[in-house]
Amino acid sequence: MSERKLIDARGSFCPGPLMELIASLKLMEIGQEVEILSTDQGTAKDVPEWCAKVGHETVESGEKDGHWYVVVRKAK
Amino acid sequence: MATPPLFIMLSSVDRDKLQLASMIASVAAVSERPVHVFVSMGAIKVFAKTASGNDRYGDSAFNAELCEKNAPDPIDMFGQGKMLGDMKVWACSMVLDVLGWDESDLVDDLFDGQMGLTKFLSDAEEGQLLSM
Repeated sequence: MSERKLIDARGSFCPGPLMELIASLKLMEIGQEVEILSTDQGTAKDVPEWCAKVGHETVESGEKDGHWYVVVRKAK
Repeated sequence: MATPPLFIMLSSVDRDKLQLASMIASVAAVSERPVHVFVSMGAIKVFAKTASGNDRYGDSAFNAELCEKNAPDPIDMFGQGKMLGDMKVWACSMVLDVLGWDESDLVDDLFDGQMGLTKFLSDAEEGQLLSM
């Protein structure tokens, strides 16, 4: 299994974290996972919403150490 | 069912409006929703190749905060949405005519061409139209 990618988008304003995630997903293989870190609270809801709409999978999301994180699995 | 396309008409130099328009356009475009942006009236001057940095925008209620926090530039946001999603950007042919400009006077790699208002409005009948 390939290593999970990490995107540190802390400090980036909405919709920057989502855009960084999408750019990264385009370069990934199906089944590969990426974790995005963000200081934008909206990311915690926006990214799962976007994944549900376009067909990727939200593996987990939450808050830790003053920032939010979302793990996404590329599904298509 | 496919999501209906989104049509956004820009006419203002107001940074707040352009910031929000660029956010809406780019997020919709990467969410599998086709987006068409029509740039008309004073808004076209924001996209002039000769304009630079924040000076290209008119002042607005939230402009100072956006600059201070180094929020992403609306033109960059439109470009990002176009690169990552399904977005077309059209320059209003009437305002180019008034200014004596053509597409070479506009920022590079963003516009898909000129369009008349009649054609844009006709196309917009198949989707939702926002005017900012």
